[in-house]
Amino acid sequence: MKLRKPIACSILVMLLLSIAFSPEVQAQGSQVSMPRIKFQDRTLPNGMRVLSAVDNSSPTVAIQVWYHVGSKDDPAGRSGFAHLFEHIMFKATRNMKSEMMDRLTEDVGGFNNAFTNPDVTVYYEVVPSHYLETLLWAEADRLSGLTVDDPNFKSERSVVQEEFRQSYLAPPYGMLEYLIEQQSFVNHPYKRSTIGSIEDLDAASIEDVRAFHKTYYRPDNATLVVAGDFDPRQLNSWVDKYLAPIPKPATALPRVGIKEPERKAERRITHRAANVPLPAIAFTYLTAPERNADAEPLRVAATILSEGESSRLYRSLIYDQQVAQSADAIPDLREDLGLFYFNVILASGKKPEDGERALLAEIKKMQDAPVSAPELDKAKNQLVTNELRQRETSNGKALALGSAAVLLGDPNRVNTDLGKLQSVTAADVQRVMKKYFTDTNRLVITYLPEEVNRKVNTMNRAGGQAQ
Amino acid sequence: MKRFSLLMRLSAQLGFISACLLTPSLVQAQTPQATPPPPAQPRTVQFPRPVEKTLANGLRVIVIEKVGALVSGQLLIKNGAEADPIELAGLSNMVADLITKGTEKRSATEIAEAVEALGGSLESSARWDSSRVGVSVISSKIGPALEILADVVRRPTFKEEEVERLRQQTIDDLTIELGEPSSIAQYVAARVVFGDTPYAKPMSGTTESITRISRNDIVQFHGRYYRPDHAILVLGGDIKAANAFRLAQQYFGDWKKPASPLPPASATKLNASPGSRVIVVDKPDAGQAAVLVARTGITRRDTDYFTGIVANSVLSGYSGRLNQEIRIKRGLSYGAGSTLDARRETGPFSASTQTKNTTAAVVADLLMHEITRLSTEPVPDVEMVPRKAVVAGNFARNLETAAGLVNQVGSLALHGIGFDEINRYLGNVQGVTAANLQRFAAARLGAKETNIIVVGNAKEFLPALKKQYPQVEVIPVAELDLNTALLRKKQATN
Repeated sequence: MKLRKPIACSILVMLLLSIAFSPEVQAQGSQVSMPRIKFQDRTLPNGMRVLSAVDNSSPTVAIQVWYHVGSKDDPAGRSGFAHLFEHIMFKATRNMKSEMMDRLTEDVGGFNNAFTNPDVTVYYEVVPSHYLETLLWAEADRLSGLTVDDPNFKSERSVVQEEFRQSYLAPPYGMLEYLIEQQSFVNHPYKRSTIGSIEDLDAASIEDVRAFHKTYYRPDNATLVVAGDFDPRQLNSWVDKYLAPIPKPATALPRVGIKEPERKAERRITHRAANVPLPAIAFTYLTAPERNADAEPLRVAATILSEGESSRLYRSLIYDQQVAQSADAIPDLREDLGLFYFNVILASGKKPEDGERALLAEIKKMQDAPVSAPELDKAKNQLVTNELRQRETSNGKALALGSAAVLLGDPNRVNTDLGKLQSVTAADVQRVMKKYFTDTNRLVITYLPEEVNRKVNTMNRAGGQAQ
Repeated sequence: MKRFSLLMRLSAQLGFISACLLTPSLVQAQTPQATPPPPAQPRTVQFPRPVEKTLANGLRVIVIEKVGALVSGQLLIKNGAEADPIELAGLSNMVADLITKGTEKRSATEIAEAVEALGGSLESSARWDSSRVGVSVISSKIGPALEILADVVRRPTFKEEEVERLRQQTIDDLTIELGEPSSIAQYVAARVVFGDTPYAKPMSGTTESITRISRNDIVQFHGRYYRPDHAILVLGGDIKAANAFRLAQQYFGDWKKPASPLPPASATKLNASPGSRVIVVDKPDAGQAAVLVARTGITRRDTDYFTGIVANSVLSGYSGRLNQEIRIKRGLSYGAGSTLDARRETGPFSASTQTKNTTAAVVADLLMHEITRLSTEPVPDVEMVPRKAVVAGNFARNLETAAGLVNQVGSLALHGIGFDEINRYLGNVQGVTAANLQRFAAARLGAKETNIIVVGNAKEFLPALKKQYPQVEVIPVAELDLNTALLRKKQATN
């Protein structure tokens, strides 16, 4: 996920959680429960979907527009374009000059931001509630057309290239994350990292911007979500006034149809890079997409494996064996196909083989025996509490609602997925562990410091080296 | 419970919006409306009101009721990393970490299991001026969560085995952290600004200091500072005050106050940094350069605190001057900003950004130029009004979640600031004038006493930087030593 602006790490984690997971409703016994989100669902004649949820507890309102276009839709030879485009949406439009969105939000005590992931691009604003109509006008205006000029386009392109350096080149394990994205897929466009490459970004032009807007930024590819302090009748009248008149194009929306082949054998990659303080390893597996019923057991498995200091990977790899500095299991389940990866930074003095052996043993344990009842309950409580934390703010609620509607295909799942989560059994967790975490479905990345006396250009070698 | 309201006229900034719409660059109307509809009448904000009580053992308990589903609890100890002896940097942080790694009745694993089964986790760390242990859970679980929190604060065992494990983990964490140019820049800046005084040390220590810390140091630090008459318990969220006070009494009421006197207030003497040092840490493998300028700032209780945060907001934030000049106008970075970190004693003021190695010198100039401009020109109203709105909006949003509320109220309590400041916050922000701000910037944030630190591949930017700043000192990263204000492993000549 790439954002328009840098934000604090904790917020980023919360955003990621909301995209990954939207459970809900009442639970029994010692399990924690969550209040329903009551929402209105409306589709305009031009195809735009409008979801709204009133909460008057604070005089602010969150406005989000979800466009169903992500980095998997980057044009050929233009990796990183969907994300670059997201930045350009803050430049001049028909009736707004560059950065006017900031005048309408930040300058009145609110804020805005946007993010792009492989499947969606989401724009959001939080403002004092009496500015709602103003922001609906502004969102309609930038959906209607962009008028960015070449100097502004090029300057923002440089910003995105600096974002690439800041996220992937400056931090020690940035390129490992890049490799996980890039190497996990062979055919599907998910193989292009959302940030793209410096070269492809350099090749992007203002003509590409116009074509991309025309193709994907249309009302029948957009979902407006409004959460917080507003009057539903007023909202409807403003939506009718500003968003309903935007015409729906007659052309069809292109959709990615490329299938990723099943993995037939384990693949291993060794990558050497500058600035690797301690070696690291990653395992990636292809799994079910996020709409699939296996998504909940996969998330429960990830939580049992690596959420908190009582998790299995922490206890085994970090605490008992002291083989790892960190160990994470990440369910990066996507629209077309799921990715599930493990990321282990080794403790000093330990070898990649030590980490690999320990990680494999923990995966095997999850396959050989069912998880215990207290472990299962704990994971569910952790997942629900994280989601509650996310839903404390209007913007968080809107994210939950938007992701249910756009990524899961049904906004009601914001309230029904908790039931699914609570019904996950130890047998379900064991079944998905056996089904997806096979030897042939594994990519192993070994990430090592550069050998002494061997000069290697990190950027040119981003593709790694197959062994 | 009586609530008080704070008038949050976040709409007062309308004047600026209209002004920006009158600019001639607007395109012909093609949508139903070419100008944005004006805002409606603003609503007022209700901030929850803290209530408090002091237990017989001296523990101050503060409760803030707020509608929601979660409760956050935080126990603050009124000292943190500043209390670490200089040769034992990282001690307070090790103590905060280790209390969750075993008590008289629970092992490290049992503590983690117990709190995570409730859906929460214990967040325990030392900061400057405080050590804090917090937990956030659904409201029905707050009793059991507080029982665990009290157990770790009051009865940690600091087993030798846990000390050794944490020592190794901390050293690995530091190794990784020092791979990041921006982390190196921050640590170097602290040394340059604060010399050998308490805020100069790396908060989580250095490999050398962490190696030096003994179990005895840890036990002593805990005994000296973790005591009820030197602590504050804050509970906020979906909990009634009466219930919160009852839980506080139940789990902390019999926490014995030691007979020994309280630790003396930290007497931080700041040997005022002359400033204007320019330091390059040469890290040839840096994928990007970190550029940071830093000097002394203000204390939290400074009478100019609000002038300071408004001045900082003119520079910082997305539309602040630094980001305007560096990112928005020139595309030189993903972001640039500044921090006025007001602490118990004078804290730092810093401005920073990251850019490709070749543009590090340009960006250093831009940072310095904007800091200078703050004291040489008054901030015009069209800029002042929105930047004040940013400060007010951030303040209100920080109080929106149970954890945010508890953290903010805890900080006010830590610095001995009355809770009526919450009520007066907006008025204080609005009261800052351009003339005051300019005077403040000249006296307290002047560029002359500001140091520049650049961490990156020096050969890409050193010639350009030298032209502007001939006094530049270059330290190869392998020779950098954060244990000393000299910053070098061996005495080397410049």
